[in-house]
This record gives sequence, structure tokens and C-alpha cells, in this order.
Amino acid sequence: MSAIPAIAVEPEIQSARTSRHIISVIVRDPLSLISTIVIILFIFIAIFAYQVAPYPLEGAGKTNVSHSLLPPSLEHPFGCDKLGRDVLSRVIVGARPALIVPIGVVAFAVLIGAPLGAIAGFKGGWIDEFIMRITDLFLAFPSLLLAMAIDSALGRGIQNAAIALIVSWWPWYTRLVRGVTISLKERYFVEAAQAIGVRDSVIILRHILPNTISAILVQATVDLGTVILAMGGLAFLGLGTQPPSPDWGLMVSEGRTYILEQWWISTFPGVAIFVVVLAFNLIGDTLRDIFDPRQYR
Amino acid sequence: MKQNRLLIFIMLAVMLMVSACGGATQTPITTEAPVTPPTEVVQLTQAPPTAVPPTQVPAPEPTAAPKVLRIALTANFTTWDPIKSFSTEAAYMANMYEQLLRINPPGSAERFTPLLAESWESSADGLTWTFHLRQGVTFHDGEVMNANAVKMSIDAARDHGGASFIWAPLNATTILDDYTIVFILKYAAPVDLIASSLYGAWIVSPKALEAVAADDTYFETGKEAGTGPYMLDSYTPDQEVVFNKFDNYWGGWKPENYDSVLCQIVPEATTQQQLLEGGEVDLAGSIPNDNLDSFKSNPDYNVYIEKSFFNYVGFFNTLRPPLDNPQVRQALSYAIPYQDIITIAFSGLGTQSRSPVPEGVWPWSDQVNQYTYDMNKAKELLTQAGYPNGGFPMRLTYASENSAEANFAPLIKDSFAQLGIDVTIESMLFNQQWELSKSDPANAQDMFLLLYWPTYSDAGSDNLWSMFYYTEAPFFNLSYWNNPDYNSQLDQAIADTVVDPAKSQQEYIDVMNLLVDQAPGVFFLDTKAAYVIPNHIAGFKYNLNYPFTPFWFYELTPAK
Amino acid sequence: MHRVEFILRRLLSSIFVLIGVSIITFTVARVIPSNAAAMYIGPKARPEDIARVTVKLGLDKPLPVQYLVYMGELLHGDLGTSIGTKRPVLLELSSRLPATLELLFTGMAIAVIIGVPMGVISARWQGKPTDVFVRVIAIIGVSMPAFYLGLLLQILFFRRLDLLPLAGRFSNELRFTNPINMVTNFLLIDALIMRNWIALKDVAYHLVLPALTLAAYPAGLVARMTRATMLEVMEQDYIRTARAYGIRETVIVYFYALKNALSPTLTVIGLTFAFALTGTFFVEVIFNWPGLGLFTVHSLLNVDYPAIMGITLFGSVMYVLINLAVDLLQAWIDPRISLK
Repeated sequence: MSAIPAIAVEPEIQSARTSRHIISVIVRDPLSLISTIVIILFIFIAIFAYQVAPYPLEGAGKTNVSHSLLPPSLEHPFGCDKLGRDVLSRVIVGARPALIVPIGVVAFAVLIGAPLGAIAGFKGGWIDEFIMRITDLFLAFPSLLLAMAIDSALGRGIQNAAIALIVSWWPWYTRLVRGVTISLKERYFVEAAQAIGVRDSVIILRHILPNTISAILVQATVDLGTVILAMGGLAFLGLGTQPPSPDWGLMVSEGRTYILEQWWISTFPGVAIFVVVLAFNLIGDTLRDIFDPRQYR
Repeated sequence: MKQNRLLIFIMLAVMLMVSACGGATQTPITTEAPVTPPTEVVQLTQAPPTAVPPTQVPAPEPTAAPKVLRIALTANFTTWDPIKSFSTEAAYMANMYEQLLRINPPGSAERFTPLLAESWESSADGLTWTFHLRQGVTFHDGEVMNANAVKMSIDAARDHGGASFIWAPLNATTILDDYTIVFILKYAAPVDLIASSLYGAWIVSPKALEAVAADDTYFETGKEAGTGPYMLDSYTPDQEVVFNKFDNYWGGWKPENYDSVLCQIVPEATTQQQLLEGGEVDLAGSIPNDNLDSFKSNPDYNVYIEKSFFNYVGFFNTLRPPLDNPQVRQALSYAIPYQDIITIAFSGLGTQSRSPVPEGVWPWSDQVNQYTYDMNKAKELLTQAGYPNGGFPMRLTYASENSAEANFAPLIKDSFAQLGIDVTIESMLFNQQWELSKSDPANAQDMFLLLYWPTYSDAGSDNLWSMFYYTEAPFFNLSYWNNPDYNSQLDQAIADTVVDPAKSQQEYIDVMNLLVDQAPGVFFLDTKAAYVIPNHIAGFKYNLNYPFTPFWFYELTPAK
Repeated sequence: MHRVEFILRRLLSSIFVLIGVSIITFTVARVIPSNAAAMYIGPKARPEDIARVTVKLGLDKPLPVQYLVYMGELLHGDLGTSIGTKRPVLLELSSRLPATLELLFTGMAIAVIIGVPMGVISARWQGKPTDVFVRVIAIIGVSMPAFYLGLLLQILFFRRLDLLPLAGRFSNELRFTNPINMVTNFLLIDALIMRNWIALKDVAYHLVLPALTLAAYPAGLVARMTRATMLEVMEQDYIRTARAYGIRETVIVYFYALKNALSPTLTVIGLTFAFALTGTFFVEVIFNWPGLGLFTVHSLLNVDYPAIMGITLFGSVMYVLINLAVDLLQAWIDPRISLK
């Protein structure tokens, strides 16, 4: 979880941050360019996993006993695991839970947290107090611990791990959006809209929330990296995806027994996690630079 | 910003205070027995000696260390209470406590070794068993071991022991005199076998039994009150247990025996292997099966591969169609890749089972049939049963703690897929898997993978009965199978065990063949156990009857 | 009056949060798992044993009653008994806390010692290859999964190079040759006060790999924050003035800028402490480190509900109480806050 909440963005400056601007900045910075390409590549792989993987069935879990523990070779660039399944295929198919689920987690956390934060910030008063107390309540738990507890209580599995992470993550967005909303509230256009008689809910939906998007976007991008790490960690501990489904964190854990001789079983999934998270962090940095250069990097 | 800094400093300060308090209030987990202080100045306790002033701490230069045996084990204590004990702590219990007698490995000259009982006999009808106890034995807490102690221990075990069911045949225990005790049974049963059990047969000091009757958490801080060769020195949960030799042990001591044994609790087999290779431990209880080859070719180690007491069974839910049709079950039994499972999930360390009775344990026999891996036969039988293309789903559950099951469940899935049967694999904590199976059979699984072992060396009254005898609330009968022929034949075989062993064996063979034929379950394999013993340790003797106790400390010595 | 009102409001809201925390924890740990009694005694128990234990543990009473009983015990400091070890949960927590704290402090120390200079250097040479290099290193630290890094370090330093120990806090021999007198349970300190140098060295060796693994994420974070703060400070007018006066660049950076950048950096260091905390779960599992993290993971995997409740409550209550104390202190120091 990123330590630094993004500071409110001035709406006036924001109009300069058109998507064209973003793209040009990214293209010019080699690190960002590579990261974007990597992310797009992985998302592509995740969507078309079964077409891309050389041994799609094995990727899903079908065993091939005669190939047990084969080292990397031309037919199996990442080698084979204990049950003879091609590790490359498993990594490819595993990209789905590794990427799609965290995107879902962050999306839901935003969907739940952002409106709550906007309402709290805008209305103020006891609604604000109430929402803030609930947020405090959830923030009182270390997020990973809460996620682990919920997950083990609900029964281990990737859905429950996702639910657990959503429950742990949404308060951050509430806080974030509330902060932005409070500063936006002072803006003229809000006063003006209220003077005309526009309803509060419309103001929130049409004016406040859209202006929080940049802050949310920066936060979400970096959070994606963190959530991917968290899901990998949960799977590693046995609290996430259950075998025989492929999952990078799970594969690292499964390969741990063989790490001395058959290093490839744990190494490649671990590298995959690292590369994806790195890419998201780099892009998040760049976005932050674009939207608020004064922001701590 | 200042606020946050203040917050952090306060948080740190509070945590420091809490942990300092924690350090001081931690109850020193040392043994309570009156031990004569060792002559060498060695401090073996890990708990903070709250009452000891700093000047009594031994000097920091290396002192002459006592002979210590260092072992890495996965076994943890689920309880310290010898009566309640029914799990992995047996690895330690067996060195601190003793039974009346111990059963020897199969093929030994004598079937039993007398321990706290020197001799015993039974009446002709097998209903009365008399045990003559050894004299001059004391418990670690100083109490004398006599018939009263035995009576109290056995009665407690029968009453609320973890394995109390082994004493089901017992009617009453009677004390004839200080060193003679009589077991009166309701029906004939092999009390010598039962009393040699790893669970529910420990003889415990009467003083301790009284203490635990008053406060049932008496043992849990880490106390013991046995007669065994080693006594508890210190215990750090999840970390280690240290034992010292019990000077007054009735078996006497030789200079080669170890003075202390340090058991490190290490849950990962890979870590244990690394500790063993690095010389940080002398013995490791679990080495990953795949890595045994490197030890086999290493002249510094001996690798022992032994039959074990454990086997794997897969229960079919016989209440749910089409699994209620024996032909379907037989078909599925032909569709199990037995050899692949052994090779892949167990690295070859196993043999295919004949019924759920493991090899080496009564009443195993090679005249019991087995299925083979024959997909054609499977398809044929399925077609005859009316499912030529399979077409039904199955839900298979296994225990997530068991990595072997995790490895062979997919093999079953793939094999059944060839028959057109779609298997969904669900891994869950064993407790949850168990819960599910005991709930409404309409919700229960279709196939339940189980690792099983008998509580004592009688797989007739244990395995065959526990797993497939019909009881209204299923015990281990997770196939929910109810076959009256099986039930009555099994009853007869069990009853004849003591009275007419030869007849009993034949009855058992028939009943096992009936079981295999009707196939309410799949009998995968009997596992083998592998132990890697470095050359500098002598005295390792594997006893299949005590699967959780790989190491008997008293018998291990440094090699010459 | 405002002050009093503020204090009351904060107190009330803290109590609300605490009660909410206890309800959530209670729900998660006791309501959701199906049959706690069976889990307590294990699978081979007979139905009558399960019934007996259900009554003994008070699980047959209606939920609200169970909750009240639990709260009552809590207020007496009784966090229940762990199913796994059959000892009081509070004892389990307090006996393992020092191990985790020692790991955390060492890890954070490494993170700061590495991170701050990295950030300063990076800011000094902003835009140059050094800056890019340091930034990449920092971001790698933040992106690397802790469990993976730990495994890699183990293979490299234990298996291939045979330089550092594999796991645990100290070697087995130590217990018999140079035993450590456990006073604080912080082994480094304990060995130090008794001048037990051999033990000190052994303990330090065992700390290296786990602390390094733990430090990767905070080090990266600290480096990035320090760099950002330094950059911001260096844009200030007084720095420009100092440059105009001709003061050497090195002095400007390492003395003036750093001094002013230190304060917010310290704050960040405090915050990364919280993140390092979650790293302990993985590090302790991989290195078999007997701390709270390992205990938490085991309790979760075994659904040891009293332990889970105890751990979650402990962490949350600490956080809430400290927040409250700080808020009250702040209001006392600066009354203006109570007006907000």
C-alpha cells in the first residue's frame, strides 16, 4: 500500500493533462515506455492465455507424468513441474488470476470507496463522521492481516481472497477522495452550482467525482502492483488460489520443496510477479509525475 | 507531520514495554521433577530465570558440553496430556512415557518387549488378562510405579482418553496386589496388542493424574510425569523441546547414551534436509522423498526404506447415484493409475494396497485381490452399468495440509476424464473436509481422499471396522456403505482373533475380498517411510508399529 | 469547553471503533468457521466428546451471549486459549513479540542506513545516470515479492556460498556452549549485556538474511521519499541563496538540505514501519523465525480462532489507543485542533 496519498489536484491545471500529453510523456521516457509495453503484453497474454500457451491443457492443470521435473529445454523453455506440466504454460495461464483479479479488486475498492469518500467530504457533518468512523474501523486492522483472517474464515480460495482484499482496501480510496472533495468543495463552480439549485447528488456525480479521477488513477496504478504482491503472498501462504489451478504465488510455494535442484519451478513465476509489479510501479511513478510533479516520488 | 512522528515513537515505546513485560512474565517452562543438578555447569532453560540474579549465569567461555543428540522433527505438541494425546506429539511421548509392553517390528524373534510389565497371561476364553508388573520403577516425579498407577492410567484412558475407543472391550481393571493387575473384558480381545498402543496406553504418575483431574490444563504448560528414559527439560512452543536423561531409569545407563536430546521443530522437510547436510542436526525426521537419491550415493549416510503403517484410501459416496452401483465403482477402480501415483506423488516410495489393511499389520494377507490400471476394463464395466460415455460429475475432496494428495488428485482427475467423468478437485483443511463429509450426504463429496493409520497394530478391528463397518453416525465410514454381510462377517472375524487366530485370519481374508470386490472405496497404496541416518549415529531401529516415533532416544548412540 | 467536547468526541469514537473491531474480529473468527469444537479436539473424537467440548467452550450458548462472555474475558486481560498450543493466547503473543520486534528494528535500521544515503545521492545528482540507477534500484526493492527474495537469498548465501545460516535465531550448539541468558528476549541485547561475544556473533549472523529480506521494501520506499523531500527542499529559496553566496555544493546538499529534509523523512520512516510489519509474515515463514508473523500464519492456516482473534485484536487495539493518545496529546498541546 503506497504510503503517500496523492494530494488534491487543482482542476484548472488538470485540463492540460490530456491523454495526448500523457502518451507523449510516456513515449519519451524509456522506462515508462518499456513498462507500458510489458503491461500491455501481459494483459494480452492474460486474455488470450489459452491461445498463447504452448500446452494450454497443462497450463490449466492437466498432468503429464512422464515429463515430471524436466529441466528447461527447447520444448519446455521453463521446464516442467512435479506433475510434468509445462511451467511456461502454467505461468501464461496463471497470468489471468495474477492480473485480472487484482484489477477487479482495485476496481471494486474504488467503486465502493470513492463514492463514499465523495459523499463524506461533500456533505460533512454527521454523515462525514459516520463514514469516517467506519473507515477508521477498517483501517484499524493491518490490511494484509484482515485479508488473511477473512480469507481463512470464508474458506481459502481466490474469490474469497479477492473479497478479503477488497474489504481491506476500500477505506484508502474513501480517505483519498474525501480529501480531494473537501478541497474541491471550496471551488467557485461548486458554489455556483449550488446557487443555481443543482442537487447535491448531481454535483457529486458530475463535478466532484470526475475531478478525482486523476488522483484515483495514480493511486490505483501503484495499488495494482501492491495488490498483485498481496495476492501472490496470500497464495504463497496457502490462502489464495487452491491447487491444481495455476497461480504465480502458489507456484512459488509449490516449487519450494524442489528449489535446490529443480530451481525453475519457483523461479519463473517469481520473476513474473516481480516484472509485472515493477512495470506497474514505474508507470505509477510516471503518472504521478505528470499529474503532480510536486508529489513525493 | 509532527503528529505522525509522535505516534510512531509512542507506538514503539508501548510495544517495547509490552514485550519487556512479556519477557518478564513468561512462565519459565522448566520441568518440575526433582532433578539432581548436573555436575557440568550448563544452563539448559530458555525461559528467563526471573528469580536468578545475574551473578549465577555461567561464564561465557565455551564449557564442556554434555553429549547432546540434535534432531529436527516436524512433530508438534497438540497436547501434553498423555491421556488425551492422539497426534504427532507421540514422537516425544514415546521417549518420556512407557506402556506396559511394546510390540516389536514384524519378523522379530519375540513379538513383544516387556516394559512396565514383566510378564502376562490370558485366560483360555480371552476374557481375563493378568499382568505382572516390574518392580523398582519410579516416575520422573518420584512416585512409585505399581498396580495402582496402572489402574489409574488405564481407567483414565478409557474414560476420556483421546484414543479411548481402544479400551472398548474393557469391563474393569482389578488390582490383585501391588504388582499384579487384572483386566476383565466384556468380550475377547488382544489386550497385549491394545496395551502396546502408541496412544491411550501410557502409564502416568498418580500424582499427575490427580492434578489433572483437578485442573485439566495441568500438563499444557509443558509438564510430564512418565517413567521413560528421558525427561523434559524445557519446551518452547513451535520451536524446540529439550530432554535430559532420567538418572533413575529402570533400564540403566551406558556411557554411550546421550545425556540430552534437543529436538528442533522444523515444519519444512527441505529445511530439515539442509540442517542435516549442514551438520546442524544429527538426525532429521523428514527428508523430501525426491532428494533421497543424493543421500543414497553418499557414503556418509545410510538410507533406510521401510514399510509403514500408513495407507491412502479414497471413499466413494455410495449413497449417491451412480456410485451406488458396484459396477460403476469397480470400473472406477480400474481407472486409477496406481503406479503413476506411487511414482509421482511418492517418488516410488509405496506399494499398491490390498484392501485398507497395510502390509505388515495383522490381518494383512497376499491372498487379497487388487485392481490393476486397465482403462479398457474400466470402459467396459462402465458401459455395462449404463454409462458408456461417463457423463456424470464427481466432486473430490482432499486435505490441503497433505501435499502428496495434492499431487495425485490431478492424476485421478485426468484419468477419469478419459472415461468422460468430470472431476472437480477441492482442497480444504482436513477439519473442513471432515466436517463436510459428516454433514448431510446430499451435500457431501463424491470422493474423499484419506490418509489413514491404525491406532494400534490391529487393522482388523481398526481399519476394516472403522472405515467400512456401518454405524448410523459414520465414524470413518465416509463411503456411508452399509453391507450386512460385511458387517456380520467382520464381527465374527474380530471375535475370533484371540480365541482362534487361524480361523480368524481366513475369515478376514474373505471379508477383505468382499470389500475389494464391492469397491466402496479405492485402496491406493501403502506408503513407505524413508530415513536418512548419518554414519556417526548408531542404534537406529525402525519399528513399523510406531509410525510417529521415528527415533527412540534411548537406543541411539554415537557410532564408534 | 471546546476542548472537553473534542476529548469526549474522540473518546466516544475510539470506543465505537474498538467495539466495532471486536465485533468484526469475533464474527470473522468464531461465527464463520462451522464447528469450532470439532476443530478443538480433532477428527477422531466421538460425538459425545464433541458435545462435551462444545459445552466446555461455551459454544452452545447463543451468539450475543458468547460475544458478551468474550468481551468480559477481554476486559480481564484474558484473550482465550490457543487451540494449537493449549496455552493462553496472551502468553503466546507476549513470548513471540520480541523476536518479531528484533527483526523489525534490524530490518528498518538497514532500510534507513541504505535508503537515506541512496535518496540523498540520487537527489544530489538528479537527472544524471547515478540518479536513474538509484531510482531503479529503489523501485526494484519496492516491487520484489518478499517471499521470493527470501528464497533467493537462502539459495545464494546458504546453499551456494555457505556463508550464512539457513533459518532460526541462533545455532543449536549455542545452547550448550554459550547459552544466552534471556532477559529481554531481544537476543542481540541479551548477548551484549553478558558480553557473550560468541553468541552475539551467531545471533547477528542469523539476523542478516531475514533482516535484509524484510528491508528491501522499506529501503526502496525510504530512498524514494528521501529523494523527493530533498528535491523539494533544494528548490527552496534559502538553498538558492546559499548557492549564490558560493557555499560548496556538497556542504549545501549534505548539511543544509539534508537537515531540513530529515523531519518529513522521519515521518515516512515511521509509516514504512507499518508496511514492514506485513512483510514479517513472509520473512518469518521462510526463515522459520519464531515471531508473531509465523504464529499468525500458522494460526490462520489451522483456523485457531482464539489465536486469530487475539492477534487481530492486539494489533488493532494498539493502533486505536495510540491514535487516541496522540490526538488527545495534540489537542492539549495545540488547542486549535479541538476547534476543527
